Amino acid sequence: MEEILNALARAFSFGTPLLIACLGAIINERAGVVNLGVEGMMALGALAGFAVAFGSGLGDGNLWLALLAAMLAGALAALLHGFVTISLRANQFVSGLALTMLGLGVAGLLGKRFEGQPLFNQPPEWPFTLGAIGLAALLAFVFYATKIGLSLRSVGENPAAADLLGINVLLVRYAAVAAGGSLAGLAGAYLSLVYRPSWTDGMTGGLGWIAVALVVFVGWSPLRAVFGAVFFGLLYYLQFRLQGQGGIPSEVFASLPYILVILVLALSGLRRQQGNAPEALGRPYQRGER
Amino acid sequence: MRLEPLVNPSRYRVLWVTLAAVGVAFVIAGGLFAAYGLNPLEAYRTMLTGTLFDPKGIQETLRRSIPLLLIGVGLTLAFRTQFFNIGAEGQLLVGAVFAAGVALFWPLPPVLSLPGMVLAGALGGALWCLIAAWLKSRLSVNEILTTLMLNYVAQSLVIFLINGPWKGKDARGYIYSDRFAEYQQIAVFPGTNVHWPTLLLGVLLALALQFVLNRTTVGFQMRVVGENPGAARYAGISSARVLLWIALITGGAAGLAGVGEIAGIHHRLIEPMQLSSGYGFTAIIVAWLARGNPALVLLSAPLMGLILAGGDLLKVSLNMPFRVVDVFSGVMLMCLIGSEIFLRNRVRWGR
Amino acid sequence: MGKSWLVSIVAALGLSFGMAQQTNLKACFIYVGPVGDVGWTFAHDEARRAAEKAIPGLQTQFVESVKPADTLATVDRLVSGGCNVIFTTSFDFMDQTLEAAKKYPDVIFAHASGFKRAPNMLTYMADFYQIYYLNGLMAGALTRSGKVGYVGAFPIPELKRHISAFALGVRAVNPRATVNVKWINAWFDPVKAREAAEALMAEGNDILAFTEDTASVIQTAARRKIPSFSHYNSMYRFAPDYVVSGQIVDWGVLYIDLLRKIQNGTYTTKNLQNVDYWWLAREKAVMLGAQTGMPINPKFEAALKRATMTVNGKRMSVYDRVMELNKDIMSANPKWDPFTGPIRDRNGVIRVPAGRRMTIKELNEMQWMAPGVVGQVPDEPK
Repeated sequence: MEEILNALARAFSFGTPLLIACLGAIINERAGVVNLGVEGMMALGALAGFAVAFGSGLGDGNLWLALLAAMLAGALAALLHGFVTISLRANQFVSGLALTMLGLGVAGLLGKRFEGQPLFNQPPEWPFTLGAIGLAALLAFVFYATKIGLSLRSVGENPAAADLLGINVLLVRYAAVAAGGSLAGLAGAYLSLVYRPSWTDGMTGGLGWIAVALVVFVGWSPLRAVFGAVFFGLLYYLQFRLQGQGGIPSEVFASLPYILVILVLALSGLRRQQGNAPEALGRPYQRGER
Repeated sequence: MRLEPLVNPSRYRVLWVTLAAVGVAFVIAGGLFAAYGLNPLEAYRTMLTGTLFDPKGIQETLRRSIPLLLIGVGLTLAFRTQFFNIGAEGQLLVGAVFAAGVALFWPLPPVLSLPGMVLAGALGGALWCLIAAWLKSRLSVNEILTTLMLNYVAQSLVIFLINGPWKGKDARGYIYSDRFAEYQQIAVFPGTNVHWPTLLLGVLLALALQFVLNRTTVGFQMRVVGENPGAARYAGISSARVLLWIALITGGAAGLAGVGEIAGIHHRLIEPMQLSSGYGFTAIIVAWLARGNPALVLLSAPLMGLILAGGDLLKVSLNMPFRVVDVFSGVMLMCLIGSEIFLRNRVRWGR
Repeated sequence: MGKSWLVSIVAALGLSFGMAQQTNLKACFIYVGPVGDVGWTFAHDEARRAAEKAIPGLQTQFVESVKPADTLATVDRLVSGGCNVIFTTSFDFMDQTLEAAKKYPDVIFAHASGFKRAPNMLTYMADFYQIYYLNGLMAGALTRSGKVGYVGAFPIPELKRHISAFALGVRAVNPRATVNVKWINAWFDPVKAREAAEALMAEGNDILAFTEDTASVIQTAARRKIPSFSHYNSMYRFAPDYVVSGQIVDWGVLYIDLLRKIQNGTYTTKNLQNVDYWWLAREKAVMLGAQTGMPINPKFEAALKRATMTVNGKRMSVYDRVMELNKDIMSANPKWDPFTGPIRDRNGVIRVPAGRRMTIKELNEMQWMAPGVVGQVPDEPK
């Protein structure tokens, strides 16, 4: 029993950054914009958060400021992606890749001076976990029960029709992309301020990519994202908990989270669940074009 | 200001828009260098003089270009048919694994050993890519996710092999395989790591694929599937079959790059993070620069090779952090795709 | 532009005419990781700076995050930039360093932690295994559950001798205790290191030690108020209340000694075939400590003084034993070594016969694990 509780605790702790970043990606994908640059935005958020927390004297009160800085950094990076893909109508997938390289690169370059510095105030993890779950519920509510949510979804499903209804498609998309980026930045700050309070280059360790994969995995649903993130968190933790059991090589357990994600995606493909994807996902919008 | 669509952009326009994008990228990256506290002009001068005007720099540029060329050619084709393979890194690793398997455990006559490794490597990369292509065509699973996830799986596979069953007898407990025999190594220009046969292979592949794309039925089908899937269906072209071909080519080419790295440079299977230098990702830029033309990779691969070699130089001469290459690549890619709108549209000022 | 050309041409000429009198010593360092990490590369770079200060006329240069494939090209650059001594600071560079040594017979190469040498290429290593034994004694004294956790990077000889020495120490105090190992198959991966540490704590391990390049294990353990041992550098600052002790390297003494001997002509490009620095606490290349100058965190002194163990039939406190052994290994002629026979491996096979010590070669190629180690080892000899 204790073992199960322990594993769940790990799943939630590790799942928190995944969930936050995944919710962010759901917002922009629901508006029709894919942003593969989550990893890069997380790196920038992690650095910005750490820099503010470290620079402002390690006090408690500055945690909020640090989180805000992280969200801002993520949002700014996302707006770059927004400009290139929404206004310049470039390929969203490639722009996201570019953002990943750019984010990791800039964070690595500017973060040099913070490496090897610890932070002493380790904030507890649970408020973030609860907050992320609350955010998931809030998003579900906004998506399905408010006018904002309806506008957002219609822009992602059928931008031409939304345009006819008087919704400013480009504005909604920009806002969604910025929101997605700010959450990716927040997820990064969780890593550098809470999960492992220090900054090192490469500390995001591919979590951003997993968050992107989770979006498809949970079928663009904020509530299911909670379960998706916890599920992956559990798998990730179990690769170490199970290591050495039954003579199975550790590398098998290490690759298990990724293999399982592929398998589940294939299964949902079998059951034709890919239909959940927003209709206009990945396609730039241009008035008068269908 | 408004944009006016262009039906067929001239080659001249493609050229100057691309050059302008590269120029803007240099300016932005220069700004970032300045923010780091480095004079951008000095950085660029170091990069250029140390690569283009120095025999060692040219060697380095060539060596870096080899995997970029091979992977880039394949990716150019893949992107053209809307198959977003970002798992070339994993395909490179599996190609290396297959080649190492042949080298270490299949006692072929010496003359046949290296060709066997090359074929096995191409096969390995192709099979790894085929998983994603099959999942996409059969179950419409997003290939970006599968190819990416398969990268991690490929890394674990390599570690498993060199940690356990393939651990070398001459390795003294360290994690790598035994060394390949002399005849299993790809020739290099003396005193360098430039394995020229692989380079030659890449050049031939680029030209051959350009020919296939322009002059053959398969190539025609590829172009149609990429540009207009609806028309392809109407014309009775099986996009699943085209996808299969694409996966075999793009994965196989990445596998060949893996063979080049281990048979040309390392001469044994080593830890995955040390085996490739992120060529699978850098090659995405190479492919994008080529704008869908495999032959143009012959220009774009050396350009990125130059940037990688130049980045190394910034590390050596100016002690820049290694991330400088990522900054450069990211800015470059962003500018390139951002510029595409100016290929398809003319800018008109006024209303 | 013209100037740097001239400099490199002059340097190249100088080299090709043979630098018999190496008055202008330029030592260059090729690092495997970034200098800003808190592990391996950081320690080497600290030593580089120390050497530059200590040796008048010494110039140094470094290149960080070099991949094995890029080694030869990096050496090319460094040699044409005037380097006459090149340190390659990772095992991964071994084959490439040997190749470079053949290509540049007039340059001295020094390769860390490897076993291949040439007339102009020596090897060097500062090893922790004795210190790990001392850490093991403390872990054995402090564990209540009898389970000590260990996060390891890769199952290579270096880690096997560290973990085995650690386990021998743990069992010397607490004969029934186990050392439970989790591999993360990476030198640098803070996320994996944390989750591996979490798994170890969930399994009831109440003291943690590690060999990988981040401070994640220390921070993770501190969160659950569990003591841990610092690795490689002074990591005391990451959790001052919970870091018991640890291992600290000082490559500086080794680099300074080596470079001085190159400067005064003891080492040339002709006589390095058998030069292998294997430096331990005696040479002050490694030391016991939570941070420099603090062998044991004062917060844990009382507990370690209370804990007792039997040594040669005599009861003594663990604290005294640690101090006694630490003094011995730092002396000019250490009498004690953790790998003194008889030692059986964990499968009961005798590995070190009675009255014998493991040779450096044996330590470098160690594949077996000491009794008490629990965890998967893919290539363990049966």
